Amino acid sequence: QVSVINTVDTSHEDMIHDAQMDYYGTRLATCSSDRTVKIFDVRNGGQILVADLRGHEGPVWQVAWAHPMFGNVLASCSYDRKVIIWKEENGTWDKMYEYTGHESSVNSVCWGPYEFGLILACGSSDGAISLLTFTGDQQWDIKKIPNAHTIGCNAVSWAPAVVPGSLIDQPTGQKPNYVKRFVSGGCDNLVKLWKEEEGQWKEDQKLEAHSDWVRDVGWAPSIGLPTSTIASCSQDGRVFIWTCDDPAGNTWSAKLLHKFNDVVWHVSWSITGNILAVSGGDNKVTLWKESMDGQWACISDVSKGQGAVSTITDTQQNEQ
Amino acid sequence: MDFNFNSHIKSITSAGFYHLKTLQISTVYCQNQTWRDLLIHAFVSSRLDYCIGLNCAIQINFPCLINRRTGHVFCLFQKPNTAIEYVAAHLSKIHGLDWHPDNEFIFATSSQDNSVRFWDYRQPRKYLNILSCQVPVWKARYTPFSNGLVTVMVPQLRRENSLLLWSTLELNNPVHAFVGHDDVVLEFQWRPQKEGAKDHQLVTWSRDQTLRIWRVDPQLQRVKNYADDPMSSGSKLDSAAVGAGLPQTLQQEFSLVNLQIRNVNVEMDAVNCSCVVTAHFGAHQVHLVVKFPAQYPNNAPPTFQFVPPTNIPNSMKSKIYKTLTDTSLQKVKRNQNCLEPCIRQLVSCLESDMEDGTPPFVPPALPVFPRVTNTYGSYQDANIPFPRTSGARFCGTGCLVYFTRPITMHRSVPATEPTPRSLSALSAYHSSVLTPMKMRSESQRLYSSSPTRSDKETVSISSFYYKERKSRRFKTKREASEFSNRPIKLAGKVIIQDISCLLPVHKALGESYILNVDDIQETCQKNAAAALAVGRRDVVWALASAATSQDLSPDSDPDSETPWARHPFGRHLLETLLAHYSQMSDVQTLAMLCSVFRSQSVPVDSFSLYGGHHSTRSLTSGSYSSNSDSVPTNIYNPGRDQEHLNPWGEPSPDEYRFSSQSFTDPREREREQHDMNKKLLDPSNTLQFDEFKKCYGEILYRWDLREKRADVLKFASCPPEPHRGIEFGVYCCHCRSQARGTQCAVCKRLTFQCAVCHVAVRGSSNFCLSCGHGGHTSHMLAWFRSQDECPAGCGCYCLLQSTY
Repeated sequence: QVSVINTVDTSHEDMIHDAQMDYYGTRLATCSSDRTVKIFDVRNGGQILVADLRGHEGPVWQVAWAHPMFGNVLASCSYDRKVIIWKEENGTWDKMYEYTGHESSVNSVCWGPYEFGLILACGSSDGAISLLTFTGDQQWDIKKIPNAHTIGCNAVSWAPAVVPGSLIDQPTGQKPNYVKRFVSGGCDNLVKLWKEEEGQWKEDQKLEAHSDWVRDVGWAPSIGLPTSTIASCSQDGRVFIWTCDDPAGNTWSAKLLHKFNDVVWHVSWSITGNILAVSGGDNKVTLWKESMDGQWACISDVSKGQGAVSTITDTQQNEQ
Repeated sequence: MDFNFNSHIKSITSAGFYHLKTLQISTVYCQNQTWRDLLIHAFVSSRLDYCIGLNCAIQINFPCLINRRTGHVFCLFQKPNTAIEYVAAHLSKIHGLDWHPDNEFIFATSSQDNSVRFWDYRQPRKYLNILSCQVPVWKARYTPFSNGLVTVMVPQLRRENSLLLWSTLELNNPVHAFVGHDDVVLEFQWRPQKEGAKDHQLVTWSRDQTLRIWRVDPQLQRVKNYADDPMSSGSKLDSAAVGAGLPQTLQQEFSLVNLQIRNVNVEMDAVNCSCVVTAHFGAHQVHLVVKFPAQYPNNAPPTFQFVPPTNIPNSMKSKIYKTLTDTSLQKVKRNQNCLEPCIRQLVSCLESDMEDGTPPFVPPALPVFPRVTNTYGSYQDANIPFPRTSGARFCGTGCLVYFTRPITMHRSVPATEPTPRSLSALSAYHSSVLTPMKMRSESQRLYSSSPTRSDKETVSISSFYYKERKSRRFKTKREASEFSNRPIKLAGKVIIQDISCLLPVHKALGESYILNVDDIQETCQKNAAAALAVGRRDVVWALASAATSQDLSPDSDPDSETPWARHPFGRHLLETLLAHYSQMSDVQTLAMLCSVFRSQSVPVDSFSLYGGHHSTRSLTSGSYSSNSDSVPTNIYNPGRDQEHLNPWGEPSPDEYRFSSQSFTDPREREREQHDMNKKLLDPSNTLQFDEFKKCYGEILYRWDLREKRADVLKFASCPPEPHRGIEFGVYCCHCRSQARGTQCAVCKRLTFQCAVCHVAVRGSSNFCLSCGHGGHTSHMLAWFRSQDECPAGCGCYCLLQSTY
C-alpha cells in the first residue's frame, strides 16, 4: 500500500524548486528561491537539518546527488549563473568547486553514470551545455557545447552507461559497450541527444514534436532491455515518450503520453524505468505506467491540487 | 482615384494598399464607390530624397516622406502639393515612422540615434517624449491596443533578436520581450483583429527564415495599462513558427550582408550568382571568387576559388578553403545563407596567420550594447524558464519525493490561464506601485514578501502568487493581530511517499530469495515459497525447478540425445518467460532466473567467479553462501577447498572456447555446438543477462543487502573491469619468478604457501605487508588471535606493522 512515510517541513523562506533524495534514500536535499540549499537526514521518518548551504546569490533551481562511490557530493545550479558542487568532509559540507562559466541562469544539473567517474552536465539559458569532469586533485576538466539550444537550454539528463544495442546477440566474452550520452531540452522546442566521440561532444539526434519550450527531459534507467526510453515535457502541456529499439540508436519514435491543460515542468522515472512521475503548473503529481499492450495509463493522482494529499489506489497487478 | 504622383522625380519603388476594414478613412479622395469598398488608400514611396518609406495617418490621410539623410520628416498633404510641414526630428538617420492609432496628430519616429521620439504634428519643433533604447531603432510601431509600442533594433547589428514591447506611459523599461527568433527581425506588423477577438496578433518575419505569429492576450495588453489595472500580472504569448518557407534570393542576401571590416571588399554580382571577395592583410592579398549554385541556399553550398593576384602560401590556401567549405556546408544544410559567415571565417583565418610581422588587425569597435543591470524577473529574463513550484521525483528504490505549491498560495491569474512560460512574467511586479501587497484589497490581509528580502529585493517567484491566510477565529483581537503578523509560509512541505508496492521489485523478496549453486532444486523451491509469502503466485519457480532437475541435465556426449534445451519447454519456454518479465520490468525475477539457469548450465567445479584476477590477498573471496543467513563474504569457507580441483583464477570454459578458435577436428566442433545447444540460456545474450544481474545488484545495494548482491554478481559471466587500485603480486615460492594469481606461469606450481599449514593457498589469504608472510585467512585469524609475531618465525610483529 502506498503510504506517506515522511513529511518534511523545510522552513525555506521562499518557494521550493527541487527536492531530491540521495542514493540510499536517507538524506533529502531541497533548494529554494531563498537562495539556499538544505540537507535533511530523513532516516526513520525523522527530519534533522544536516546542512544549510549558502553560496548562491539567486534562486536555486535544481540539485543533484552524485553516486555514493564518490562520497557525499551534491551539485546545485542557480539563477546567479553559477553551479556549485558541495562535498561533505568529516561531517561538514563545503564548496568543492564553483563553476561560473555560464552567462545566464543555469537551469539544470545532472550527474553522469558512475561508470564514467564524476561528470556533471549543466544546461543554461545562455544556450550552452557544460560538462564538468573531475580529474582528481581538485581539478575539473570543462567541456562546453556552445549554442546547444537557441535561446536557452532548460534540462539535461544522462543516458545509462551501457548502450542497449550492445547487449544482445553478442558473442560471449565481448565487453558491453559504454558510450557517454545525454539528452537535453530547450527553448527551441527541441529535444537533442548528444554523444561523446573521441573526446568531442556531438549532436547525435534532434527530436521534434513539441510546439513550445521543452521544460524537462528524462532518460529512463536501463535494466538491460534493448529499448532506450526518454520522456520529455513542455510548456505546451504535452508529455512525449520517445523510444528507440534500433541498436544503432538512430530511429526514435514518439508517443504522446498525455496533453495536460497547463505547463508540465518535470518528469521522473522509477528505478525500473516503468513508471513515470509527471508534475506541472497545475500543482498536481500524477504517476503513469505502460500497460502490457504498450498504452500509457495514469495509475494515480498523488496530490490532487493545492497540496492536498490523497492516497494512491493500489493498482498493482498480480504478476503471473 | 485622384492621386497626383508628379512630385516624384524618380521611379516609384513600392506601393501598398490598406483594406477598408482596417482603417477608417474619409471618402474625400475616393470618388469611385467600388474603389472605396475595396481600397481606401494607397501609399507610395519613391527614391526621391532617399525616402525609404511612406506611412499614412488614418484620418488626415497624407503620406509622409522621411528624409533619411538629414533626419527630418516632411509631411506632405495628399492634396497635391499644397502644404509641406517640416519637423525637426533626429540627429541621425530616421528608419521608420508610425502614426498613433487613435490620435490623428501624433506619430512616432525611430532612428539610428538610439531613440524613438514622439511628435505632435501641430507642434513640429518639439518632441512630446523620447524613448532611449541604447541601440539604433529600426522600426517602432504603435500597438493597436492602448498605449503600447513595439520596437525592433537595426538588423545589421545582429545583437538582439527580440522585439520589445513598451508602454508609452512608462518609457524606462520595456514591458515585454518577444523572444524566439534565431536571427534578426526584419519586419513586423499587427494583424487586423477579427471582430470580437480579444487577442491581438503580431506577425514578424526574420532572417532565420521563419514567420512567427505572436498572440498578445488581453492580459498582456493590460500590462501597458497597469496604472488603471494593477492586476495584470504576467505576460503570455504563443508563437508559432509558420515554417521556413520564405523564398530568399541571393539579392536579398547581398543586400543584407553587412561587413564593416577593414581591408575587405566584397563585389556582389547577383545576376551571375557570384561575388568577389578581396582582402588585404599586410603584404598578403586574397582574391576569392564565390559562385552560388541555382538551388542555393537549399543544401547547395557555393564554390570557392582563389584567383590572382592572391599571394598567400598554398598551405594556407588549403586551410582557408577547408574552413570555408565547412562553414558553408554547415549553413546551407539548414538552408541558411552562408556568405557573411564565410567572409568572417576568412578574415579570422587570415588574422590568425598574420599575427607575426604584420600589424594586428583591429576590428572596428562595434557599438556597445549596454545592458541594464539585470534585475530578477525583468524583461531580460525572457529566455529563462518560469520556475517550477511543484515537482515529483523517484528517489532511492521505492520512494517518491514531491512538493507542491502551498495551499495558501493562489495564482493571481484565473486557473484557466496557463502558467507563464518565462521568468520575465514577473516584470510586472517591478514597478514600484506594483507590489503584490497593494494589489490586494485590505480584507484579504496580504503579507508582503518574505521578511529577509524585503529590504533588498522584493520580487520573487512568490510575488506571482498571492497569499491568503486561512480564515480562523480568534478569541482576542491581540491573538488575531499576532497571527497576521506572523509570516506566511511560502515553502510547502516536502512529502516522501513509499511507492514500492507499485514497483515490480520487492525488498522482501530480495531478502528471502536465495541462490544455492549446490542445490538448484532447493533454491527454486525456497524461492517459490518466498514469492508466495509476499502474495506473488510465481509459477515460474516451479517451472525453473522442473527445468533444472537432475533428470534433464544434459549429457556431455553430443550423440546421446537432443538436449533438453532444444525441447519446446527448454530454451524456448525460458525465453518466453524472460520476455514476459522484461515487459513488466521485473529485473528482480529476471536476474534470479538468469542466475539459476546459468548455474545449472555450468559445471559446478569450474565456476567463473566474480573478480577475474585473484591476488594472494583476495578481496572478494568466494564464499558460497547457501542460505539467507550467509557467511560474511570475506571469510573463506575451508570446506570447499578440497572439492576444488581447478584453481579459481582459471578462465571459465566459455573463455577457453572462444579464445581458441582453431578447431580442426569436426568432432571437436560438434562438441562445441552441443555445448551451445545444451544451455538453456541463449549464450548470445549473455551480456544482457549480465546487465540484469548488475542492475539487480545495484538495487540490492541500495537496499543494503550487499551479501545478496555478491551472490547474484557471482553469476555474471563477464567480470567487471579489473580494479585499478593497488594490486599485490606474488613471487612464486618455488622458482621466485613474479606471478599473478595462484598459479605460477613459469613453473606451473601454486605460488603461495600458508605459513601455518605449509599447504599452497588457492583461496582467500591474508599476509603481512611488512614481512610478506601469510596464509589461509582462517589460519591467520586463528594464529593472530593468540600471537603477535609472524607464524613464519621471522620475528616480524605483523599486527603492529600492518596497522596504518
